[in-house]
Amino acid sequence: MAVAFLFPGQGSQQTGMLHELPMHPAVSRTLEEASELLKTDILSMDTEGKLRSTAAAQISLLTASVATARALQEEGATPDMVAGHSVGAFGAAVIAGVLEFEEALTLVKKRGEYMEQAFPDNYGMGVVLGLSQPELSSVLKNNNADDSVYIANINSPDQIVLAGQIKALEQAFELVLKNRARKAFLLNVSVPSHCSLLQPVTVKLAALLEAIPLREPDIPYAGNRTARPLRNAKAIREDLALSLSNPVRWHDATSVLFELGARLFIEMPPGQVLTDLAAKEFQGARSLSISVNGLKTAAILIEQEKAKL
Amino acid sequence: MNVKQIRGASGRSWTTRRDDKAARLSKVAEIAEGRILPTDRIVEAMEKLISAGDRVVLEGNNQKQASFLSASLAQINPDHVNKLHMIMSSISRPEHLDIFEKGIAERLDFSYAGPQSLRISQMIEDGKLVVGAIHTYLELYGRLFIDLIPNVALVAADKADINGNLYTGPNTEDTPAIIEATAFKDGIVIVQVNELVDELPRVDIPGSWVDFIVVAEKPYQLEALFTRDPRNITELQILMGMMAIRGIYERHNVQSLNHGIGFNTAAIELLLPTYGEQLGLRGKICKHWALNPHPTLIPAIESGWVESIHSFGGEVGMERYISQRPDVFFTGSDGSLRSNRAFCQVAGQYAVDMFIGSSLQIDKDGNSSTVKSGRLTGFGGAPNMGHDPRGRRHATDAWLDMITTDDLLARGKKLVVQMVETHLSGNAPVFVESLDAIDVGRKAGLPEAPVMIYGDDVTHVVTEEGVAYLYKAESLDERREAIAAVAGVTPIGRNQNPRVTEKLRQEGLVALPEDLGIRRTDAKRTLLAAKSVEELVEWSGGLYEPPAKFRSW
Repeated sequence: MAVAFLFPGQGSQQTGMLHELPMHPAVSRTLEEASELLKTDILSMDTEGKLRSTAAAQISLLTASVATARALQEEGATPDMVAGHSVGAFGAAVIAGVLEFEEALTLVKKRGEYMEQAFPDNYGMGVVLGLSQPELSSVLKNNNADDSVYIANINSPDQIVLAGQIKALEQAFELVLKNRARKAFLLNVSVPSHCSLLQPVTVKLAALLEAIPLREPDIPYAGNRTARPLRNAKAIREDLALSLSNPVRWHDATSVLFELGARLFIEMPPGQVLTDLAAKEFQGARSLSISVNGLKTAAILIEQEKAKL
Repeated sequence: MNVKQIRGASGRSWTTRRDDKAARLSKVAEIAEGRILPTDRIVEAMEKLISAGDRVVLEGNNQKQASFLSASLAQINPDHVNKLHMIMSSISRPEHLDIFEKGIAERLDFSYAGPQSLRISQMIEDGKLVVGAIHTYLELYGRLFIDLIPNVALVAADKADINGNLYTGPNTEDTPAIIEATAFKDGIVIVQVNELVDELPRVDIPGSWVDFIVVAEKPYQLEALFTRDPRNITELQILMGMMAIRGIYERHNVQSLNHGIGFNTAAIELLLPTYGEQLGLRGKICKHWALNPHPTLIPAIESGWVESIHSFGGEVGMERYISQRPDVFFTGSDGSLRSNRAFCQVAGQYAVDMFIGSSLQIDKDGNSSTVKSGRLTGFGGAPNMGHDPRGRRHATDAWLDMITTDDLLARGKKLVVQMVETHLSGNAPVFVESLDAIDVGRKAGLPEAPVMIYGDDVTHVVTEEGVAYLYKAESLDERREAIAAVAGVTPIGRNQNPRVTEKLRQEGLVALPEDLGIRRTDAKRTLLAAKSVEELVEWSGGLYEPPAKFRSW
């Protein structure tokens, strides 16, 4: 059956994440490329203080995931399909062959900077557990809260992220907890991503993407915005731009990969957030993260998976 | 004009299909050797044998898949062959939808799409495929002979000889229905086989119904779909099983039945030799089954409960066991199972007392659906069995028991039982205000909401709270109250007035476990005749050979 590579988004960054990447020539080379382009040593970027910046966090995430995916590819462990959560989609687009790493790095740096400039403070994101998206939407709508907070990620059938002003989010939490939500809390994110508040950033990002030559993907890429398996460069580029102002339909995006035959999900570093989501949702598949299991185990399992009928 | 003049004037040919078939066959004369198509030239042969706009029936249900032919079909050039109208029992494999994404096919009539339910919903929404209708199995097979007559059939068998005779072994399933509709209307029948042999163990399909044989690269895909590991049966399911046996099977003297695929009914199968035996019911109920060879039925068979089983399909690992129990199963002269989905669906629709199955959502009126959050799963065969067949005319005890009036023309009813826990794992309620199916149906532009089993067909609902005897309700309101009484703390059950429930108990519309003489604390896993797959193997005397994924020892 098929192998899917998953690329984590913001929230997965960790102090020291670039220093903890697997030892591999492809990893060193990618770190060097990044340092050269950014004109700064990328390895100085994964301190606790620096990672507080959205731009630094996103650059580090892109670099870590692409470096590791390249290492796997060089070991002959190639994906049949990819998906990336939020900024992770840029890494997925690189590995699908739609963007060069340098292009992605420039885009992600700008993306991060635009996001920081758009919302200085008192905005953020929070997660609600225990309600389905239709249930959550109707609670918000019935209490006229649906114009101040926005559904930003549908990570699993009962794990949904909201975006908006901190105050509005806190009010929404009170509401949903009264309406049978299991848990609701703020995330350590300072930008209300994936909702219409980010519309202006989307426009700028789309203009930057326009300037990049079209390269068709080698493998399907599951889109954030539509959760469709995207098979052409134009659609993937549109997804990279528009995803910031639309909810990330992560659960559907990975479900589509499962239906396309993915039975092994491999999450690029750092962390294992996407691995845990996949493990819970797809009992017929195996999910693992490079951060926990390392390159070698992943490479062996990928080879085995591809040999299966 | 007289008859002669009219006939002369029309100048109509009455053999267009036959002529067309002859023309297509001649195109592959240089590829085929007799009836045999070479494996490595199958795509080329299909491009010659299939024409744009053809109705193509592709075999694939939830068990057996013509996987080599479906993968080959996905490789044909859409510039040559396109606009196909696919007819498929089940959309199961990724390439089943790839053929639409690639523009080879555009129209689809099907029955079940569980394993591809999100993609198919997306593609309908995006206009990438046009759905004729979503059918039950019997409707789809029926239409193969009426208005969906195939031009080409792509099917799978275990073995063939060079004359085209087929051996389908335990997994005959849909094959006879599909081939019959194609072969006898001048369609082209192409069969993938696992191997070509000189002598077949038995003939399931005669060679004169078959045009071409191709030896597949790999054996056809076959899923062990009906194997339920007893380890995963919970004590809540055991409680529900005890209530079903006591409050429905025994009460209505159920002789013949079909069970769904879930752990709920697997629990019942494993309770018959223990709890059922304690009640002295062996030889009195559950004697005749329309059922796949469920491994969890082995203990009941071995302890003498089961007289006969007719099966829709096979079940991986059950082959040897079945071949040693020909008094119970339908077997051929070679000793192996003969299954037949179309006949078994007919049997399950008309010839059994009861259907019992599970569901993901039930509304206040008892309508149920397995469609959830944007996923169009389709129907399969459950609605064929899970309804009251109003054309039925033979009476049985259970059937007559559903009559609640003195009307001289009163008719009996099939027992249609919904057996669900009030919440799914993850705490999502099963009893809901409104079915997700309504929204999914609207988004897909379906003319009707995809309801699996209609509330007015449901005679009983079993939950961990109790049994609701819906057939006794005298009004829609009373029916709703009875459902709410067993719906637990769901949106449907949570506002139920306890006094109403009490009244329904008095009137016999609702039974709690204690009303049936069942103590909740008695529902223990020790009651299961087998508590693991290993114990099922023991019961079978080593004849059951479970697939590796079910082996834990």
